[in-house]
Amino acid sequence: MTFSPDRPTMIEFRDVHKYYGDYHALRGINGTIRAGEFFSLLGPSGCGKTTLLRTIAGFEGIDNGAVLIDGKDMAKVPANARPTNMVFQSYAIFPHMSVAENVGFGLRRDPRSRTEKAAAVEEALEMVGLKGYGARAAHALSGGQRQRVALARALILKPKVLLLDEPLSALDKKMREHMQVELIKLQRQVGITFILVTHDQEEALVMSDRIAVMFEGQIAQLADPETLYRRPNGRKVADFIGTMNFIPCQILSETGGRIEVEAKGLGRVMLDEDQVPPARGEGEPVVGLRPETLTMLYPGQEPQERAVAGRIDEVIYFGDMTYYDVFIGGTDVEVRLSMRNVPGRPVLDVGTEVQLAWSPSALVLFR
Amino acid sequence: MAQSKSSEARTGWLLISPPALVTLLLLAAPLATVLVYSVLTGSRGAVSLPFSAENYYNIFRSSDGNILDLIFSGEWGAIPAALTKAPYLLVAGRALFVALLVTLATVVLAYPIAYFVSFHVQPSKKALWLFLITIPFWTSYIIRVALWRTILGYDGIVDSSLMGLGLMDGQLNILSYGVTSIIITLAHAYAPFAVLPVFVSLEKVDRSLLEAGQDLGESKFRTFLRVTLPLSMPGVIAAVLIVFIPTVGDYVTPELIGGGKVPMISNFVEVELLKRRNFAMGSALAASAMIVVAVISLIFILMNRRFLGGRK
Repeated sequence: MTFSPDRPTMIEFRDVHKYYGDYHALRGINGTIRAGEFFSLLGPSGCGKTTLLRTIAGFEGIDNGAVLIDGKDMAKVPANARPTNMVFQSYAIFPHMSVAENVGFGLRRDPRSRTEKAAAVEEALEMVGLKGYGARAAHALSGGQRQRVALARALILKPKVLLLDEPLSALDKKMREHMQVELIKLQRQVGITFILVTHDQEEALVMSDRIAVMFEGQIAQLADPETLYRRPNGRKVADFIGTMNFIPCQILSETGGRIEVEAKGLGRVMLDEDQVPPARGEGEPVVGLRPETLTMLYPGQEPQERAVAGRIDEVIYFGDMTYYDVFIGGTDVEVRLSMRNVPGRPVLDVGTEVQLAWSPSALVLFR
Repeated sequence: MAQSKSSEARTGWLLISPPALVTLLLLAAPLATVLVYSVLTGSRGAVSLPFSAENYYNIFRSSDGNILDLIFSGEWGAIPAALTKAPYLLVAGRALFVALLVTLATVVLAYPIAYFVSFHVQPSKKALWLFLITIPFWTSYIIRVALWRTILGYDGIVDSSLMGLGLMDGQLNILSYGVTSIIITLAHAYAPFAVLPVFVSLEKVDRSLLEAGQDLGESKFRTFLRVTLPLSMPGVIAAVLIVFIPTVGDYVTPELIGGGKVPMISNFVEVELLKRRNFAMGSALAASAMIVVAVISLIFILMNRRFLGGRK
């Protein structure tokens, strides 16, 4: 996270609305994306994230509001005249062309000579790790190679913004993790604004400087990954990003931003202002607690802060980690906690009585 | 395993034997007869041994002497004049010329229709559109030809409309221009055949490729030229073959529309076989036409390979 927040604005959304017939796909999008930022649009399928990306590219018109790129209103600028290039979900590699012809597709009107263009193509291929692949037929490439060709084809035109529409979703897990790192490196190298659309919260957290979480055509929260994870501003965001335990609670008192709650099984807690996002009316109040903020105490171990008794209900083994679902003693509340597996410390069995240590500062209140 | 495979093979042979038999008797056998006849010595109403290439040689006949003789004797200067007096070559050339024009007209007409249905018709309505395109097939071809006669002929719909609108003083009588009316009739008849393969190849074009073309800075039209058109070439070439092959040998249209005034190669074959009863010469003409069509088709198929080679 070497990103500095005082860079100029690259893209600005001003109350963007989009309808498909009666369906309200984008419901008033506001926000800015800064120059040189790795920005992600994250959300479940159907939330409008791809539609929003396509309004930047110019493939979708908007019904209200404005999209500005580098300060210019894009309302009357067609897709082929915008300073953006896209890596499509299907990669959209031209099957009747070679790799070099694909990469050089956008250079037709480039005034450079034929040899200079060929050198530029070779340079772009080298940048994505496909040096010497120019003569290959595009249809003979693997999924990962296609994606690299799509990247080279877009980056050779030196766009102000690179749009990536779920580019990693078609790759297997290993390849995906590898490409995540490569994309981050590439983005730092070229310094272009990257906008990634993804439904994979882990991918968004790993890669982005900032993330806009979208639900039902609206941006629910726009923040850096750490804020998004530690201080989600609503139950939906909290639930979508990572795993979150929700524990029913009662609000006892409010004094100058600080709120005292009585959480089921955990007792009375005083919450600071930053642990209480603005009220959203999402139902009965709950406090949220991430699994990794809970610690399981072994017999004889003294709690650092507060601890609560419980019984293990489910054990999920991940290799490096184990997840436990634990019923808090005397309540019907079940929480999940994660434990790093350490040599010499056995995985506990279902039914074991344990003590869970928790820290009040890890709680977030949703009401 | 081996046994079940061989029994499967036996069932397979059993299943294909009826159509194979029909093909053999009704297609391969007559074709072989034509090929054999074409290299026999012909006389009125009969063929006899010995084998000779005489009939093929005679195709190059002209009133200035045989063109093959002129070529072998090196009299190059005399060839152009002789060509204009070579009846078989002239008619063969005309048949090819007409077939190429019909093919061109048909494919040029069919492409926009196929494009429109593929790109601008809602997916749920495409089947209906294709169904509507096949409506001309509901009427017998002979009747459609007869209808074109009343449309294009003397005092026909075209002429009377143009004169009624005061656009023309005299009769245009397009029907009297044999080749033009033949091309109009054939192009109309084969257009649906051409629409379907082009439509199928356009349907296969991944729509994101068109967005990619525009995203990379090309206009819609340029994207069409650089992406859509090359990717639809297999369909275009299939359409060309489907139209070209039957029109070269078309017999009915020149007979009815051209009034027999502009005979094509198949009309000559008919004259030789049924009127002059020279079976050997008729067979040689038919075989030659077949060879020419085969060669041209092969060229198109090889071109198609090039386009198909670049696809998954």
